[in-house]
Order: sequence, then structure tokens, then C-alpha cells
Amino acid sequence: MIETKHLTKVFGNLTAVDDLNLFIKQGDIFGFIGPNGAGKTTTMRILVTLMEPTRGHAIIDGLDVSRNGQKVRRVIGYMPDFMGVYDDLKVFEYLEFFAAAFSIERSKRKSIVEGVLELTDLQSKKAATVDSLSRGMQQRLGLARVLIHDPKVLILDEPASGLDPRARIEIRELLRELKRMGKTIMISSHILSELEEICDHVGIIEHGQLVYSGTIEEIRPRLGIHTKVRVQVADNQEKAIELLSALPQIHQVQTNKNYISISFKEGENIDGLIARTLVNANLDVIAIQPEQIKLDDAFLQLTKGIVH
Amino acid sequence: MASLSIKPVFNFFRFFWLTGPLFDKELRISSRRRLNYYLRFAYVILLIIFVGAAWLSVEHLRGSIVYQKSRLAEIGQSIVMTIVLFQFFAAQIIAVILLSNSISDEIYHRTLGVLMTTPINSLQIVIGKLFSKLLQILILLAISLPILAIVRVFGGVSWDYIISSFFITLTAAVFAGSISLAFSIKNIHAYVVIIKSVFILGVIYIIMPIIIAAFFGYQLINIFIYGSHVVNSPLLTALLHFNPVGIMSINTFIMLSPSGATTFYFWPVHCIIMLIASALILAFSVKVVRRVALRQILGELDLFSKVRLSLSKDKRNKLNEYIGSIRDVTGPPVFWKEARKPLIQGIDRTNNKIGLAATIITLLITYYVCYINKGLDEGYVHLLYVGMFVVIGIIFNIVLSVSCITSEKESFAWPILLTTSLDDWHIMLGKALGVFYKCLPVWLLLESHLIAFIIIGYIHPIAFLQISIVVTGVIVFLTGFGIYISSLCKKTTWAIIISFVSILFMWLFVPIILGIATSFAGNKGFYRTFFGLYYSLNPIVQIGVVMEAVGGIENSNLSLSDLRYNWINLYNFENIGKVFPTTKLLMSIMFFYSSFGAFFAWLAKRRFRKNII
Repeated sequence: MIETKHLTKVFGNLTAVDDLNLFIKQGDIFGFIGPNGAGKTTTMRILVTLMEPTRGHAIIDGLDVSRNGQKVRRVIGYMPDFMGVYDDLKVFEYLEFFAAAFSIERSKRKSIVEGVLELTDLQSKKAATVDSLSRGMQQRLGLARVLIHDPKVLILDEPASGLDPRARIEIRELLRELKRMGKTIMISSHILSELEEICDHVGIIEHGQLVYSGTIEEIRPRLGIHTKVRVQVADNQEKAIELLSALPQIHQVQTNKNYISISFKEGENIDGLIARTLVNANLDVIAIQPEQIKLDDAFLQLTKGIVH
Repeated sequence: MASLSIKPVFNFFRFFWLTGPLFDKELRISSRRRLNYYLRFAYVILLIIFVGAAWLSVEHLRGSIVYQKSRLAEIGQSIVMTIVLFQFFAAQIIAVILLSNSISDEIYHRTLGVLMTTPINSLQIVIGKLFSKLLQILILLAISLPILAIVRVFGGVSWDYIISSFFITLTAAVFAGSISLAFSIKNIHAYVVIIKSVFILGVIYIIMPIIIAAFFGYQLINIFIYGSHVVNSPLLTALLHFNPVGIMSINTFIMLSPSGATTFYFWPVHCIIMLIASALILAFSVKVVRRVALRQILGELDLFSKVRLSLSKDKRNKLNEYIGSIRDVTGPPVFWKEARKPLIQGIDRTNNKIGLAATIITLLITYYVCYINKGLDEGYVHLLYVGMFVVIGIIFNIVLSVSCITSEKESFAWPILLTTSLDDWHIMLGKALGVFYKCLPVWLLLESHLIAFIIIGYIHPIAFLQISIVVTGVIVFLTGFGIYISSLCKKTTWAIIISFVSILFMWLFVPIILGIATSFAGNKGFYRTFFGLYYSLNPIVQIGVVMEAVGGIENSNLSLSDLRYNWINLYNFENIGKVFPTTKLLMSIMFFYSSFGAFFAWLAKRRFRKNII
């Protein structure tokens, strides 16, 4: 549904996007991650026809964005990182204005606007002026606007930034609902834990280059990140640490108050080895649990956080 | 020990207690803005051109050395007067523009509430903003002081004139800036602040003298051009101490007059009056800023809610009905959005009604004054009216077209509009029609004046066609040009400054330079024709030529073949003084301007997706 081929954008001496190749399937939620200044917003602006690439191509729903800007704009819904408001328009007028901008027939506009207001739970605010809404409400209005012409693809630049936990959860639920409706969603965010919960695929970008693209589960083996397990023993934790540290398959042993954290290379069948080693030493093993790799860890490992 | 005792005194004179850290912050920001340096450069260039033109306009230069030396004092007077008047108007215009978003920017970026949570008080916010911008103006004024000091050596100009003019200009700029700052508290858009400030200043500078003139039985023109009438009337002179334009006219007249000062003229009184008026406006601003900031802290974003609550129940219901009503989007969406906002906004359109009523009453008063003085019989009076409407229309057209994209960029709505399925020409056309619709009241005033006085028999009917041709070209050109500048800039304030400087350059300074060049070339041949043609491109010149030929009772009854148009330096054009060649020339100029307007619109469209935020 969304594809970029050798996409490059150069501003003077700065290469904001450097030979970027992306592919996002229809119906996926794709998390676009990177430190500040990595090139996320520039990539999104090229995809939504606000910028021309210096080199390469961006394709949405089979349409080259540089050549078919008008058609592409009908297919996409773009929510920028800053919510643009027309200060004295009311919520309903604001949405109806964009409905008219997308050439939706006048007779259908009202029902469509009512529909998106219901979906985003903004019915009670339809007569309020846009600039009087709270940040969370404005973000929801932004999503409502994006949905007004029922686009196939949603490109959302930091939709949850600056929101309180409740508003973030609401936005997350809304995105899940949109996925159920079959939308393809590209979303950038700094709140990585949230992307982890809703994204099918993630792309990590730094210095304009894609340093990783795939599922969260694939990150570990692809990047050689060590897998971790937690081991709990009834007593004599020091002896357990000594025994486990001596095993050649184990990369690192860390102690915590109640458990031992062990990291090892992906692919090793370590659980049985740990159990055997500890039981043979007459230690009571309470639990051996795999530790989930966090997107934050992968992000930190993959990026240096250097801003252009 | 000594340093300890000096420190409070030093701090007192740093005025930190008055301006707070905001002053330093604003200075730091402005020192980093390249446009500030461009502004100073443009100011110096314009000043030099003006001074050069003033120098060369004194014909007495030609002749023997002894004769030339004897006329140096006259040249000195002419140059000093030019600089002083240029500074006087430029300083006020710049003050209004620079302060037009001074508080609204803080409100919009939600930093005003944050500022109020620091030890900075509302007085420091207001004064800090005002002083930081006034410092820019002070630098501009200071640039010309050495020139004034040097030119004074020629003789004929007293120090008193230079000093008094400087302070009259400075206090007028403080007053204009204070008005702009006060409006910027409750108006988000810089263009609305500029229009409102210009309106208020127009009332004070033009309407007040008209009413005073009516009271004394003088014609308006006598006050500003033939200051002697004023000087001869002590009471009128005293009353004009409340008016910067009036006081500057008297001041200049006294400088030029060999008889010297009048008993009833004392410029420091005027400066004190202006400072008191500015202080009152600033005190009001301090009070309102605090209220607005506190509401922002409390999350009460609707700034007018208290005003609403103070209304009677009946009025409040009506207001709520108006505010609560959701209006359908009809027609092209961009035009709908542009046109739904009135030119001058108010919470319940009361301001519109007051503004409209005030304008009509004022106009009627001026008509009455002219009528009792038999001014309506004269062509030049209609020229003044038509010229005034055209100038106001031009100002509105520039401000509105220049702000139509920058205001969207400032509110981050521009990229959203660009990602809708509206094509760029649709957006362009919607914006252009919106500008025209908003300026329509001014153009209707112009056309109404023409129609009314054509019917009564004071203006020849051909004026309607010819003036409409001139105005059409101007509207198309300024709209296209303004939208192009708007597509280039991120900030409305700078877009407006760039546009005004460009328009002044094109319609005022280039003709001056060409005039000088033609004068050097002996005022003949190609140079003279080229200068004549370029000079004729200025719409005010066209209006002048047309109204001089068709205005007034004498001309209104002439047959078409008897009308005579006095074009300057267009001797190579056969029968240009007659009605049909003149109309053809006006049509050609209209097509010329329309083509350029369309070209700029095309350029603007190409820039839509560049520099978007």
C-alpha cells in the first residue's frame, strides 16, 4: 500500500532522507521511529505530497506521489505533528469545511460529519469553537478530520504527543478500531511502548536511513540482540550466579533483589541447560521466565540519538 | 561598599524594573532576525532616494555659483523637511506593523500564561514589548540624525525644528505603537490589528481636523497645506496640539516662515499630551493583559466569556444564538471560509456596526463641511475623496492578500489544507475572491461616491468607467502580488512590511529616480517618454489625471470631446489628452497590471508547497 524506493531528500548540505526503502502492507499499522531530526516528518511530508523528493519514488496505493498528487490526496489522510486550527470555526463547521474540500456532496456531508464525530466521541463538542478545545480533544478532532473522506491510508505524525495517559489510551483504542476498519496506518511516535502495543511492523530511521524494518519480534534475531531470561531460586542465589556465570553459552548474568537476569545469544536452547545446572547443584528452582525485549531497548541499541 | 550603594541606582536607570527580562529577550531575538537588518537597509535606501529627490527638485541649483550658494539655505530647508516628514510617517507605520502581533503571539503560543507564573508582572510584559520594538524605531530615527545635522550647516533650519520634529515623531510612534499593542491583545491576526489601528489613527489624524475645520469654517486643505490659516487662529492652533499631523504641519510652517513662532504653539505640550494618551492606552493594556493571561492559566480559552456574562440576559441569549449557530458550508470551501469572517471582527458584530456607522457619519460630516465651503464644486475635492478611497482600498487589499496564507501558516493549518483534494488553483482562486470580498466595502464606498456625485451633477459620468478600469487593474495586481508574497513568508508582519516597501518602491521611489535621471538627461527624448509612461502606471497618478479632467461642476457638464486629460511627459502619444485615447491608455495599463497579477498568482501557486511551515 505504501512503498518508497531509494527515496532521498536533500536540503542544501543536509540529507534529511537518504535512500529510504520502505514497504507497508495494506491493513498494517506501521510504527515509524527515530530520534528527533532523523527524517520521519520529511518522509511523511513527501508521502502526503507536501514536498517533492530530490531522488527516488514514493508510491501510495499504486500511485506515484510526485506525479499523481491530486489522486494521492484523495487516498490519504494526514495528521501533522502540529494541530492546525482555524481559530473561530466551530467543530462541526471545521469538519464540514474539510468535507467540502474533499468534494463530498453537500447532501451527504452532514451525516458523514455526524459519523466521524460519533467515532471520535466528539458529538457533545460540535458547537464549540475549535480553539476552545483541550489538546486531547483537538487531537481527536484531528483524527476526525483525517477520516472525513474515508481514506485508505492514514499518515499520522506524532498523534499522541503532549496527551495525558487517558487521552493516549483513547487514541490507541481509536487506532485499533481504524485497523479493524481496514485502514493502513503509518504512525510516528516518541512513545515507543505505545507503538509496541498497536503496531504490526516498525521502521527505525536515523540520519535519514532506515536502520531496521520488520516486526518487533524479528528485531532480536535480526540484530543479534541478546535474549534474556529471569531465573528465580528459593535460596543461595550467590551459588546460582556462580554456576550460571561459568556456562560458556551465557553472555551476561545480572543480579536483582528477587531474581537473576541472564542474557544469551538467540537460538541457544538455554532453558533446559539452566534448569539442569541448577538442579544438579541441589538448588530449588522456582521459575525460569523469558524476558520480553522492549522496543525502547531496540531503539537505543539501533540509534545513537545524534541529531542532524 | 561604594558599588553596593551604586547598584540600585544603576538598576533603576537600566529600567529593568519597568521592562523586565522580556525586553532583553526581545532584543536578542530581533538581533538574530536578518529581516531587521534588511528593514534598516531599505529604510536608509529610501531615505537617500528621498533626500536626493529633494535636492534635485530645487530648480534654483542651476545658475552661477554665487546664486547657488545664496540658495543653499532653501535647499537645506527642503531636505530637512523631506527627511522629517518621511520619518514622521514611516516611524508610525513601522510601529503599528511591528507591534501588531506583540501580545497575540504570546497568547497564541500559550506563553502569556506561563509568563504570568514568573515574577514578571503585566506592566513589564506590556512595556517590555513596547520598548523593544520602539528601540528598533529609535535606531531608524537615529540613522538620519547625522544627515540632519550636516544639512543644518546650509542654514535656514534651526536646531529647535530638528529637535521638536524628532520628539513629535517619537511620541507619535509611541502612540501608534500603543494602539497596535492594545489591539493585539484581543486579535490573533496581525492584519486585523493593522487595519483597526490604521482606522483609529485615520479618525484621529484626518477626521478630527475636519471636524475642527468645520467648526472654524476652514477647508481641510487649508490646515495641512497652508498652515498660515492655522497659525493665524490661536484657538485652532491650540486645538491642533492634540493632533500629531496638525502639530507637525504647524512646526514645519513655522520653520519655513520668516516671521517665526506663534504665541499659541508649544510642541512639548503636544508631546506630553501624546505621552499621556499613550500611557492611558498602555494602562488599559496592562489591565487586560493580566486578565487574558489569568484566563489562559486557568484554561479558560474563550477570552470573551466575561464580556458575554456582563451582557443583559436578552442580549446574551441573542449572542448565544449567534455564536451557537452552525453555518453550512456553501459554495467553494476556501471562499466560504475566507468570506465568513467580517473585515473587522467583533464578538457579536457590534464593532462592525459601530465602525460602519462611524464611517458613514464621518463621511457625511466631511460632505457637509465641503458643501458649506462650496468645496464640492471643485474638482480637487473629488480628487481627494476618490484618492482617499483608492488609497484605503490599496492598503486593505495589500494587508488582506498578504496575510491570507501567512495567517494559515502561523496557525499550522496550511499543510492540512494542502493535503485535501482541492487543487492549488482552487485554493488560489478561493483566497483571491476572499480578499476581494473583504475589500468590497471600501470599493463600494468609492463607487457610491462616484455614482452619487455623477447623479447630482458634480462629476462627469465617464469617471465611473475610467476609475473602475483603474481600480480593476489595481485589485488584480495587488491580490496576485500579495498572495505571492504571502506564499514566500512565514510571518504576516514581515510579509506586510515587504509588500509595502515593494509597492512604495515601485510606485513612488522608481518614479522619483526616473524623474532625477530624466532631469539629468535634459528632460527630452526617450527618457522623458519612458519616465512619463512609468509615472502614468501609478494608480494615484491615473486617478489624479482622470479626476482633474472630470471632477467638479465645470467639467461635469462638458461633452466627451471637450474633456482634457493632462498626462505628464506623454507628448509622443497623439491626442492623449482626449477621452478615447486616455481610456485606451487606462485599459492598456489595466491589462498590464492584470497580466502581472496573474503572473504573480502563478508564481504563488508554484510556491504553495514550499516553505509550508
